[in-house]
Amino acid sequence: MHKSRLVVAAAAAVALSLSACSTGAAPGGSSAAPSSAPAAPAGSSVIDIDITGTTGPNGEAPTPISDLTLNDADVAKLKAGQYTAAQLWHTSSQFVTAVQDGANAEFGRLGIDVLATTNANMDAGTQANQVQTAMAKKPSVIIGLPVDPTSAAQAFQPAVTAGTKLVFLSNVPTGYTQGKQYTSIVTDDLYQMGKQAAEAMGTALGGKGNVAMMFYNAKYYVTNQRDAAFRTTLTKEFPNIKIVAEQGFTDPNNATSIASALLTKNRDLDGIYTSWSQPAQGVLAALRTVNNTRVKVVTLDIDDTVVVDMASGGATQAIVADEAYNLGKGMADAAAYGLLGKKAPPFAVANALTITKANIADGYRRSLNADVPGTVQKALK
Amino acid sequence: MTTAAAPVAAPSLTTRLRHADPSSYFVYVGFVLIFAVMAIALHGDGFLDPQNLYNILLQTTPITIMAVGAVFVLSTGEIDLSIGAVVALSALVSAVTLRDHGLVPGLLAGLAVGVVVGLVNGLLITKLRLPSFLVTLGMMGLITGLAQRVTNLQAVPSIDELYNGLLGSGSIARISSLLFWAALFVLVGHYLYRHTRVGAHVLAAGDNIRAARVSGIKVDRIKIGVMVASGLCASVAGLLYTGRLHGATYSLGSADLLTVIAAVVIGGTRLFGGKGTIVGALIGSLILGMLNNGLILAGLSDSEQQIARGLIILIAVALTLREDKK
Repeated sequence: MHKSRLVVAAAAAVALSLSACSTGAAPGGSSAAPSSAPAAPAGSSVIDIDITGTTGPNGEAPTPISDLTLNDADVAKLKAGQYTAAQLWHTSSQFVTAVQDGANAEFGRLGIDVLATTNANMDAGTQANQVQTAMAKKPSVIIGLPVDPTSAAQAFQPAVTAGTKLVFLSNVPTGYTQGKQYTSIVTDDLYQMGKQAAEAMGTALGGKGNVAMMFYNAKYYVTNQRDAAFRTTLTKEFPNIKIVAEQGFTDPNNATSIASALLTKNRDLDGIYTSWSQPAQGVLAALRTVNNTRVKVVTLDIDDTVVVDMASGGATQAIVADEAYNLGKGMADAAAYGLLGKKAPPFAVANALTITKANIADGYRRSLNADVPGTVQKALK
Repeated sequence: MTTAAAPVAAPSLTTRLRHADPSSYFVYVGFVLIFAVMAIALHGDGFLDPQNLYNILLQTTPITIMAVGAVFVLSTGEIDLSIGAVVALSALVSAVTLRDHGLVPGLLAGLAVGVVVGLVNGLLITKLRLPSFLVTLGMMGLITGLAQRVTNLQAVPSIDELYNGLLGSGSIARISSLLFWAALFVLVGHYLYRHTRVGAHVLAAGDNIRAARVSGIKVDRIKIGVMVASGLCASVAGLLYTGRLHGATYSLGSADLLTVIAAVVIGGTRLFGGKGTIVGALIGSLILGMLNNGLILAGLSDSEQQIARGLIILIAVALTLREDKK
């Protein structure tokens, strides 16, 4: 009896830890996806998208976030207003931390006090609770990413009713209109990120060769747009590069076995593209296992493990990242526009950066506003 | 160990206090302590604002309802890991049926999900003698996949005003419908658990299964029943999320499993059966809701909130379970 209880306890502990880990894996981009999203329906591909540029949810043309400017009089007015802010994030990651840091720094410069910061762990119900809780502190502005556009319309309603200025990252609640319910949307330049990744791959292969795409096979706006832009650009700009395999994945932890299978099936492979850095780690592991030094890897979003591989002359040739810190700064500025009654751009985008071995330190700083870690510096020497 | 017994005439308060297990009072002391600390530390941050306190009650409703089901399950010595997944599937099935066939089919379809999942769980546990941990772990994966598949990751809006009003967005005499649901489940759950033969049989099955069988208790029927109750509670939670958010999505309830188990255990229900309390689970749920709320209002960063929440839960569980180890 006692023994069986111990077994049940151990099993329960395993179950709880499994459950706790279930939302851990996520693209580093502007919104995270669940680690176990379902595959796209058979016969279609989530990256079969006709894409020519980054546009807003209602077709808005993008405005660079660098166009958001506040003069001394604006800053003085903001400081005098004693405004407050809440940051309601969808998840936690290196990317979110950088965005948050950028927003905190800018709010600090503008004299806007940050009262509350939350993480919804990708749960729409949790986010609705967090909006309610944050509203108890009556913030003047809220910035964040709505986990689910449909239910977010109701979840953010208390803030809309209270007249709180809302600035969203990437997603917008269904039915919301700029100027009425929210001030602005700020996001990555998704198309540009995919395009620059394709150009980096083309350059790394000298304009010819065979490439495999390992893409996130779930309906997920951020990765779908970037992957589609990669494929469109590579096909259009590099006619001598052939995409010989397109392999979807839903769990980034399986990337090593998928990459191994790709390498076995396509012995003349010259390059592999992956949707973001975590699966890229799996690709690098698969290449190391078979001592493959021929295949070049290009991926998106900064991850220190992949950066170290690139710095030490490994298979990684380029990482395309966004200016995450500036995204946060741009969100704070857009919120300030709302407070001042200035007309904010409906859809502001941050620049995409191509980081190669030649500009690692500079690219890392521009993206995350941080120095490369010691391991990367060591690998660069 | 608690010995299950048929309901008898209630002893006097003094007698009950003298013979009471001190661990069963820690949750109430903990609740008062945490409330007092937060009230003092966050008095300028809106914690004591009536609207904020009311929000805590509303936000904890789905957890409280699932906790009622979980008390029954844990009391029989079983566990149901599938409740978070049932929340999402019930919400989606209900929202899709509501959209296509109207209010009553929408409500029934959502509730049927929990009942069917609970029934399958119960039958697998009792007829095939499989451990509930493994059965419901497998079911959790299966249901999560179905929930993602059923609408291909698309959220489903709920625009039926009566549905939304009944299930979380409306109010009666300025009291949210959520509170009526929470009260209904806690009162019915408490009555069944404490004052009926069903409750006594649940405890007996969890305390000593052989003795329960020998004394004629239909243990299998009890276990199937509690799994169905747990599924039904999770379904209701899913419907309440849908009504409150005016839509359903596959990620609803994904974080609820741990919270429900924590609320129930903090409340004084033994993880391995034979002892439980519905009122304690309600208080456990409110403690966790209060913590979530207070730590945000305190202006802590996400990681600081997680550390503080983890530490407080550890202390609460240690205090609650301390007597069990003696």
